[in-house]
Amino acid sequence: MTWYGSDSARQRLWTIFGSVNIRAKVLGMVLGMVLLLGLTVTYQVRVTLADVLEEQLREQGISTTRDLAARATDLILVNDMYGLHQLLQETAANNHNVRYAFVVDTDEHVLAHTFGSGFPQALLQANTAAPESHHQALWLQTDEGRIWDSAVPIFEGRAGIARVGMSEDEMRRTVNRVTGQLLLMTVIVSAVGITAAIVLTWAFTRPILDLVEAAESVAHGDLSPRLTRWANDEVGDLAEAFNAMTEALRKAAQERQERDLLRAQYVSGIITAQEEERKRIARELHDGTGQLLTSLLAGLSALENASTDPLVRERTEDLRKMASHTLQEVRNLAVNLRPSALDDLGLPAAIEHYVGMCIRHYGLDIELTIHGLNEERLSTERETAIYRIVQEALTNVARHAQASSVDVILEKRGDVAIVIIEDNGCGMDLKAMVGKPDKGLGLYGIRERAELLGGKLTIESEPGKGTSLFVMLPLESESLASELIP
Amino acid sequence: MTLSARLMGFVMVCLTLLLFGCSPQSAPAAIQLSELQPLPPTSETGITPLRVAIAAVLSPQGTVESYQPLLDYMSAQLNRPIELVQRRTYEEINALIEQGMVDVAFVCTGAYVAGSRDFGMELLVGPQVNGESVYYSYLIVPASSPAAGLADLQGKTFAFTDPMSMTGYFYPSFLVHELGYDTRSFFARTFFTYSHDKAISAVASGIADGAAVDSLVYDAAVAQNPELARQTRIVHQSPPFGIPPVVVNPATRPQIKAELQRLLLDLANTPEGREVLKPIGFERFVTLQDSDYDSVRQVMSTIPTDYNILEASR
Repeated sequence: MTWYGSDSARQRLWTIFGSVNIRAKVLGMVLGMVLLLGLTVTYQVRVTLADVLEEQLREQGISTTRDLAARATDLILVNDMYGLHQLLQETAANNHNVRYAFVVDTDEHVLAHTFGSGFPQALLQANTAAPESHHQALWLQTDEGRIWDSAVPIFEGRAGIARVGMSEDEMRRTVNRVTGQLLLMTVIVSAVGITAAIVLTWAFTRPILDLVEAAESVAHGDLSPRLTRWANDEVGDLAEAFNAMTEALRKAAQERQERDLLRAQYVSGIITAQEEERKRIARELHDGTGQLLTSLLAGLSALENASTDPLVRERTEDLRKMASHTLQEVRNLAVNLRPSALDDLGLPAAIEHYVGMCIRHYGLDIELTIHGLNEERLSTERETAIYRIVQEALTNVARHAQASSVDVILEKRGDVAIVIIEDNGCGMDLKAMVGKPDKGLGLYGIRERAELLGGKLTIESEPGKGTSLFVMLPLESESLASELIP
Repeated sequence: MTLSARLMGFVMVCLTLLLFGCSPQSAPAAIQLSELQPLPPTSETGITPLRVAIAAVLSPQGTVESYQPLLDYMSAQLNRPIELVQRRTYEEINALIEQGMVDVAFVCTGAYVAGSRDFGMELLVGPQVNGESVYYSYLIVPASSPAAGLADLQGKTFAFTDPMSMTGYFYPSFLVHELGYDTRSFFARTFFTYSHDKAISAVASGIADGAAVDSLVYDAAVAQNPELARQTRIVHQSPPFGIPPVVVNPATRPQIKAELQRLLLDLANTPEGREVLKPIGFERFVTLQDSDYDSVRQVMSTIPTDYNILEASR
């Protein structure tokens, strides 16, 4: 449990740490270091200074009292109370730390003191010194804070005891002043550090932000941005690496574009040659072979009429039917190769003709809908492409789909021609077809034709749920093929 | 239970006692420094102490150290507390005697002569040293000094003891007068030390180029600290003068006077008495006559009154 807890806490910490930007991180580091150092030093100095000053205060208290006791001896012995009073006043005046000074005689009567009118009686019993002792000093708790009270016997106790109280106010003030100065210094250094960090992080992050901006441009396909190398450091190296990368990407993209262009030219050339060849063969079949067969039919009709022999007539009749059937086959073949309707009557008529032939030929129930394509004709290559796409699609349906009905929709929507062929057949597994062009040669041809004209093919199919082909062809935009084929 | 375990237990008990026994005491209530109360008047003890004044022949501390055994002995004998009274100058002591503020006083010769003249200060007893009740004034100079007499100290710094001292002031003034000079201009600088031991120290340490001191004090000081004999040199010794006496106010009750006189005179007859006389350097106390001080009066009378501070001040 705890292992998980600490892990998630660490993750949360990382999330927080990771979510702030570099500027905040650097500022945080600078501020953290300065504050840590400043506060540690301040604390250490404060503690040490307080210790040293307290030690000094204690020593000063004892030495002041010893001095006072020595100088008070004769004054007490000759009963010079005024001199004693003056001595105490001078002792207090010459040392700011002295809060009070007084002298008691051997009977513990106060001989002189610095309190003015009256004397705090509780102080009298608070400290004393044995006659033979050097001194007796202790901290007293008073209403004015701690007082270091030293008692020193005067003339070995025979003339009384001198008492001096040292206040730690001055010491505390000194410690607080030094602490204040150190804290102020910390604040100033923090401010300088923050300014420096801001300038540094600005200088440091600017190339990175430039890099981010350039990378976003590259992500959107613009390979033109190049970065300036601001500094001769790792970030500078990164900028150069980025520039090298975008240059390489640009070259690669250019090469790919050239290759695509070449391939499109090649494919387009093949398709054009194929169409031309088909058109020639269709014409040959129609004009040459068709005419010969027509002449043959006319000859056979004449032969049938000229003969009276029933056997000859019957045989001639069979031959004429066979020739008529062949003529029909040749004509179908020519239409399939290149429907003259496409050139002469336009795309809708050619498609209607082809669909009608498919209904007759394959027995499919085809529903054809054509919208907006009757007003004006499209360019030859687009009409050919759409015709071939429909032809290919319907051939696929007839061969593989085992469908009972097919919807064919041709529609012009603005600048786009849309071709939809939907069947209720067995469908196909699209994933299984990836990478196996031989299995989907027909679909490959459809995609190739669409893309050559800047269009797009979308296939939706699942096994058992039919197949839908959506083809979108732009009508106005510059197609790849129109670029290539003048 | 093994021995070590038992020892361990003992140590634990000791530690516990130590820890809880020495737990920090609750802080005493804070002393209110701002709560000032009038000091109670010095309460007098029931018995009036015998007030003994001792003139500052020695420094106040030296006086206490030397006279304390004697005072303690007197207190025990009289069954009465004794209060030692010291003042910086001889004149203050004389004033205390005159006003009856002290019962008995050890004064200097010069002060006695002045006191007997001014208010009839009475002799009680006098000490005897080396079988005589006289003393001298020594003129001393630092051991390194080339001076051979007072004449060589002209234009130098001179330390007087007290304006009322016979040996420390009147006698050197008398000598200067005899040389034909004025005391005020003979020396470059003079100062008063108000005790003879301080005057000796002033010469020994070279602060003063010369001083005139009580022979009794000087001999005692040299006996106690032979170093002083090497640091100072006696260049002149005066004729004998009457020794500093013990005196009383003329109004002191005869009963007390007699009791004190008997006590002091009897000191040398008991071992304890002889013991307390030792620190002062006296052999015994003897009775003296006022005429013993006539030679002193003679010297004092020759000094012109205008720089005889004592005479001038009156």
